[in-house]
Parts: sequence; structure tokens; C-alpha cells
Amino acid sequence: MAHTVTRQVVDAFYDAYMKGDRDQLTAMLHDDVQWSISGPISVLLYCGERHGKAQVLELACSILPSVLADLKVRHESVVINGDGVATLNRLTARRRSDGRQIGYRFAHFIRFQDGKVIETLSIIDTFDAAEQMLGHSLAVRDEEAPQRVPDLVLL
Amino acid sequence: MSQALRTQVTVQAATQAGAEPNGTDVVEPALVEAYFKAFASRDPAVFGAYLHDDVVWTISGPIDVIPYCGTHRGKAAVIDVMARRARNLLRDVKVKREKFLIDGNRGAALTRLTGRLADDSRIVSYRVANFFRFQDGKVIENVSLMDSFDAAEQVLGHAIEVGDAPPLADDNLVIL
Repeated sequence: MAHTVTRQVVDAFYDAYMKGDRDQLTAMLHDDVQWSISGPISVLLYCGERHGKAQVLELACSILPSVLADLKVRHESVVINGDGVATLNRLTARRRSDGRQIGYRFAHFIRFQDGKVIETLSIIDTFDAAEQMLGHSLAVRDEEAPQRVPDLVLL
Repeated sequence: MSQALRTQVTVQAATQAGAEPNGTDVVEPALVEAYFKAFASRDPAVFGAYLHDDVVWTISGPIDVIPYCGTHRGKAAVIDVMARRARNLLRDVKVKREKFLIDGNRGAALTRLTGRLADDSRIVSYRVANFFRFQDGKVIENVSLMDSFDAAEQVLGHAIEVGDAPPLADDNLVIL
């Protein structure tokens, strides 16, 4: 029978992840955990694939804190279904190198096995995150860019 | 769309899924399945039957590159995004479901979207996360999130110059 993840477990996981709490995370991660964050690693150093507890602990406790401090996550949506969890979140943090505040949305799809995190997939609004991390707009217009039908967008 | 056709579409969509939109926030998984199948089909006539009149639809991403990104309010605006504006950019869209979760009146899906650019027929493919909420048996809210940097590079057809990107430190080796 599938283990049903509770909201308390989800909250404890995020608490440990945001704090980079090695002991808590060690207890919550499966030995064979697979961790994927989609995005440009040249700008967002913590993107990429990690396999196994040691690599994920290095990410959460060393790499991520070396880039961002005071990480906070606010859940906009939490969907729990059996051993799966999907969260839509807004992350806020301070860039360690210069103290600038950044904030962007990310989605997290987590799967538990034997009560531990065995897989996570993160989707970040990476264009927004990259601009904030760089501190400037990304130039996307060029003369070779195809012409598009004008399309007024109201925000 | 005529009222008769709208009713027919609603009944047809619900019948296919063995469920029908109801008037409460308790959402049957079959209805959520049917909605997402309609959404993935990109057929606004079918998809529209599942939308609340006051739906708020957000697609995160750079509107300079992907013009249908932004927040769209109301059923008509959302249908216009799906039926016209998205098709100005992408044709032959296929949505492959990788994860799908239902919890009460909320759902979440991780998908891989593949499509053909209308301008030059190049194929683009990227992951999209969709989070949606039902109210009165209809979708009242959706947020779509994508790896927008990757999507933008594919749509542009070239790498985005990031300029002064922070260098990879010796202890920041990333294994892909």
C-alpha cells in the first residue's frame, strides 16, 4: 500500500532544505535520491542533476548556501497525492555576494519512498531568476529574430 | 460557440471522463482527469467547458519572447490565449504527462510540451509545470511555470548572452 505523505512531513522537509540542515536532511533523504533542477548552470549554479544522498547534501548544505542566504519559501499551492507531492512556491533570498534580494517562483515535484525523499524535480521560472541573479535584463532581441504578429499583453 | 454546441461539448467531455462538472469544491478525480485531457488536447471548444467565468490564468515567462505569457483574466481571455495567441507562436502542440497529482480541489501536472514554431517550423520542447484549482466544478485558477530560459533560447534559436555570469568556483563543480 502506498505511503501517504502528510503536510507535516512536507513542511519539515522544506524547513530542513531552506536551512541547509544537514542532520535533518540526512534523515529525510533516501540513499538513492535523484535531484534535478532545470536551468542554466552558468547563471544558477545550483541547477543540474544530482544522484545519491552525498551529492544532494552537498547541494543543499554547501552549494546553495554559497550562493543564497536567508532562504525562505512560501507555498502558493501544495498538492499531495499518495507518495507524491507537488508544490508551487515563491522563493526569496539574499544573494550572498552582494546582498541583493531576489525572489522567483519554482515548482517542486517530490516523490517519497519508504518515508524518505527519493526524487525531486524542480521547474524554475529561470529567465526571471537569471535576470535577478545577474542584476540586469537579458537581451533577447536581435536582427535575426523572426518577426512576430504584434500581440498586446495586459498584465 | 452556440449554447447548444456548448452544452453538447460539456456533456461530451464529461461523458468521456465518466463525470460532470458539479456545483461544489469537492472535485472528482475523473473530472480533473477529463479537464487536463481537454487542456492537453488544445481544443478550446472542449477545454473551454471546464473554465470558470472568472478564471485567472498565469503563464510565467518572458513576454518579449513568448508573447502569450502573462496573466489572463476571464474565460474569454483564456480561450483567446489557447485558440489564437499561443497558435501564433506554436503549432502541433503535444503535451506529454510526466507527473499528475490530485488533492481535493487542486491538481498539479508536470508535462513535456513539444511544438512546431509557426514562423520557421523548428521543433521546440520543454517542461511545463501546471498548478490548477477548481471552484464550483470549474477551473478558477491556473499557474503554468516553465524552464523559461531554456524555452526562450529554443524559441529564439540561439543562446542568450548572459554577460557577467558568475564563474563556476572550483568547489562548485556541477555534474550533469
